[in-house]
Amino acid sequence: MLAGIGHGAVVIGLTVSLFAAAASVLAARSGDIGLATAGRRAVYVTCGLSAIACGVMVVALLGHDFSILYVARNNATTTPPFYSFISLWAALEGSILFWTLLLTGWSSLLLYRYRSAHPALMPWAAAGLAVVAAFFFAVMTWAGDPFVSVTPVSAEGNGPNALLQNHPFMGLHPPLLYLGYTGLAIPFALTVAALVTRRLDAQWLTLVRRWTLVPWIFLTAGIVAGAWWSYEVLGWGGYWAWDPVENAALLPWLTATAFIHSAMVAERGRSLRTWTVILVTTTFVLTLLGTFLTRSGVIESVHSFTQSAIGAWFLAGVLAALMVGAGLVVWRVGDLAGTGPPPALVSRESAFLLNNLLFAGLAFAVLFGTLYPLVAEALSGERLSVGAPWFDRVSAPFFAALLFLAGVGPALPWGAASWRTLRDRFVIPALVGLAFTTLGAVAGLRGAAALLTLGLAGFSGAALLREVVRAARGRGRSSGEGWIRAAWGVATRNRRRYGGYLAHLGVLVAAVAVAVSASGSIQATAVLTPGQSASLAGYTVTHRQLVREPLAADPRVFETRAELDVSGPQAGMVRPALRDYPNSVAAIATPTVMTSVGEDFYLTLLAYDPDTGAVTLRLFVNPLVAWIWVGGAVVVLGAGFAIWPGRRAAATRTGS
Amino acid sequence: MSVSTPLPPPIRRRGWGPWLVGAGVAAIIGWLAFSGVGNALVYYLTPTELAARGEAAIGQSVRLGGLVLPDSVSGSATDLTFVLTDGETEITVHSSVAPTSSFREGAGAVVEGVLSPDGVFEAEEVLVKHDENYVAPTQGQLPAR
Repeated sequence: MLAGIGHGAVVIGLTVSLFAAAASVLAARSGDIGLATAGRRAVYVTCGLSAIACGVMVVALLGHDFSILYVARNNATTTPPFYSFISLWAALEGSILFWTLLLTGWSSLLLYRYRSAHPALMPWAAAGLAVVAAFFFAVMTWAGDPFVSVTPVSAEGNGPNALLQNHPFMGLHPPLLYLGYTGLAIPFALTVAALVTRRLDAQWLTLVRRWTLVPWIFLTAGIVAGAWWSYEVLGWGGYWAWDPVENAALLPWLTATAFIHSAMVAERGRSLRTWTVILVTTTFVLTLLGTFLTRSGVIESVHSFTQSAIGAWFLAGVLAALMVGAGLVVWRVGDLAGTGPPPALVSRESAFLLNNLLFAGLAFAVLFGTLYPLVAEALSGERLSVGAPWFDRVSAPFFAALLFLAGVGPALPWGAASWRTLRDRFVIPALVGLAFTTLGAVAGLRGAAALLTLGLAGFSGAALLREVVRAARGRGRSSGEGWIRAAWGVATRNRRRYGGYLAHLGVLVAAVAVAVSASGSIQATAVLTPGQSASLAGYTVTHRQLVREPLAADPRVFETRAELDVSGPQAGMVRPALRDYPNSVAAIATPTVMTSVGEDFYLTLLAYDPDTGAVTLRLFVNPLVAWIWVGGAVVVLGAGFAIWPGRRAAATRTGS
Repeated sequence: MSVSTPLPPPIRRRGWGPWLVGAGVAAIIGWLAFSGVGNALVYYLTPTELAARGEAAIGQSVRLGGLVLPDSVSGSATDLTFVLTDGETEITVHSSVAPTSSFREGAGAVVEGVLSPDGVFEAEEVLVKHDENYVAPTQGQLPAR
């Protein structure tokens, strides 16, 4: 019954989205407003249908309806309601369903928002988005049906993947990431529309920038939440391993970030439009590629790719999007040619160009490292991976140069900078950077990379603050306002610029935290019987007892935990544990993290001996890790500040 | 400097200067990066494949997967010696990194490290599983990462 409704919604969704695409194309060609309205409303209907399908799946999950294969595989009678609910995106078919809901939701939002604006662009954008939605509905119809029935009906169910029911963050990280991924279809659709209608003007650029920044915020938050989840759940003491799944999320983020910056140059003249189109298209293709890489099993082995039809569908989707993008660029190459004077070598324009080269270069390097094992396996049959140290080494110079530019770019004037300007704006920041590095070295920070990061962050942070102070002082002098009021006035009058500065400051904070935590992390392994103690960096851990009991929330899960007394800079009783899930071979770590402003004390239980009560613990002292999450939050806050409608924009909207 | 005075309109229609400088910087970084990729590769091997490499395998970073031979485990958690097998070849592994509790005799294990000249595999890392459906390796089969 439920499966029938869900399946019906998917099939009707495919039909309606094809209708939406056809009606929108016809409307765009004929200019028929009635047809355009029909196409737009059909997109709303696809959103409603995906919501019905998702709703059906959630009801089936919450009601443990094991006649649906997806539910039987990813749910159990004992699964708590929260994890039953979020199992909607715990596995392949469900996440494609959820994905479709978010995509059609974004599409509806865009089309509703501009229902009486941009009459030339919107029908084409609707057509593009409807085609993408049709693709996902088709995948669910033919390759990855979430509503496949199964007999005999299992009485208990398999339960969700153990790793995914171990921490509430699984309710947060995937939706944020998917909101980012799916939202990036919008700038692509808008760009396709602009290329077809030859309206590659300032209006298009403003639209694309705004509709890239919104999903970018979600993608950023999703990546940071994913790193946090990895840190809190996996128990290896780190947050980023250059895992293909992580790289898949990072790649579109890099190109979207490049676009957000290049748009500021493109808006000032008619230059860089080819590059803009390339970045927007690449970003969308990378979101599809990321889905393909993480969802087809191709990362495990080239050969496992053929086991699921979904891999082939996504590969076809990636190629189709690439061909559409490249074809349109070639078709409209005459409209894309840049004009305008060449930028001076030392200018804000140049900083933006260099920024774009660095982001694009870094994206290429990460893509290379991620795909290399696939190509190597396909060609030679050898299975290998590119180690994390390679990614660290390759990305380090890019990140260092980008940190430098984060302060240099905003402080450089448009046009050309004179020596006097350079001296005025950069001498103090350079001294601050030197002071930071010196202080770091005195404080015992080891490693050239960490010291360099500290210096660059000090330099860029000082350059940014100097710009804010300069502007606030100017305003304060003329208006007689106090310090803080003047700064707030300056910032709210130019939200984009100062929101950008705030995002840069967040990046600097996170970068310092990453560098210091990577170079300053210390760890130890200890085997303790009850009553014994171990010490690390001022902390003393005493093992009290080993406890093994079923989890209150789900009695099929056994938790074995070490009850430990911690004394030192942070103190208290902690219980790192290992959980045995009935559907998982490996026990799942449940580490404990004690967080303070300066450092985390991270304890993970590796192994235990039930006879003697002895435990094997790994202890980490990770400096500044909490500041990575703080920095990430500041980036999101800054970007949100930048796109928040200002007073002027709000006034014009209510007035119109 | 002359840049502060207005320049005459440029003759060239487009400015390639900054792009060329940037491309040069990117090329240098790229060269530094990709020249080292050969050393950064970690091969996934079974004991038989590792043995087949002979002397060439020594010092090369490898991810070795197999089954822990029953009754082969000795030593403490942080000074552990055991034998990994794929049913054909057996390789002795020494690890100073404590394995997780899923480490059991007869079960599958994946270790990352290097083969030392004396033929003992020195494990440097016990891997974190990140995949959705981890399946324990069976005899003769290369375990999933």
